[in-house]
Amino acid sequence: MIVVEGILQNKTGFHIRPAQLFMEKANEFKAGIRVKNAEGMEADGKSILGLMTMGFEYGSKIIIEADGDDEEPAAKALLDLVNSKFGEE
Amino acid sequence: MEILNIINDEAVFLELNAASREECLQIMIDGMEKAGFVKDKAAYLAAVNEREQKGSTGIGFGVAIPHGKSGGVVSAGLAFARLANPVDWNSLDGKPVQLVFLIGVSDQDASNEHMKILIALSRKLIHEDFRKNLLAANSSAELFEVLQSI
Repeated sequence: MIVVEGILQNKTGFHIRPAQLFMEKANEFKAGIRVKNAEGMEADGKSILGLMTMGFEYGSKIIIEADGDDEEPAAKALLDLVNSKFGEE
Repeated sequence: MEILNIINDEAVFLELNAASREECLQIMIDGMEKAGFVKDKAAYLAAVNEREQKGSTGIGFGVAIPHGKSGGVVSAGLAFARLANPVDWNSLDGKPVQLVFLIGVSDQDASNEHMKILIALSRKLIHEDFRKNLLAANSSAELFEVLQSI
C-alpha cells in the first residue's frame, strides 16, 4: 500500500465536479483507493457520493491510500489531479 | 448545516410530472420563488443552466443536485422534487434521474453556503435507506421527517 498527501487548492472546495474527476481517475486503476481527511473520516475513492461526504475545503489535507498492483501510478495520478486544482482556480 | 432550515412546503414536489430536465428545473424554480428564496427567476435559472453545461449534476443513484449562485437568490434555499417519471439528466452513470435537490445561494454569499448544503446532503444520500425513504414519502411532512433523519 502507498499513502500520499495533498492539500486542496481550489477556492470553491471539493464540490461535485472535482469529486467526479477524482472518481473517474481512480476508476482508471485496478488498485483500491481510500481517501481520508484530517479528522479521520474516510471514503471509497471510487465513489462520487463517498468523496462528496468528506467535506474537503480550500486548504484541507487530503490523504490518498492506494492498494494493489498499480498503486504507485494510481497514487501519483490522483495527487497530480489534486495539485492541478481540478482545472479550476 | 440543518437542511430543514432552508426548505419549505412551497418548494417540495412529490410525483412531479415533468417531461425533461428543463421543465423540471422551471417548475422547481417557480416553487423557490413562492417559497421566498428567489426573486429573479430568469437570473437564477441562467446560473443553474450555466452550471449544468459545465458538467452534469446527476451524480448517479437516480439523484441530481443542480445548483446556482446568483443575484436572483434572496437567501440560501433548497427545493426537492420526486419525478413521476424519471428524466434524462446526462448523469455520470447514464441512468435517468428521479430525485432532484435544487440548491440556490446568493452571489453575495461569502461563507461557502453552497458547499455546506452539498456536504450535508451527500452525507445523507450516501445511505441507501435515506434514498429509499425519499422515494416512499407521501407528504411534505413525511419528507421533512426523512430529511431530518440520519
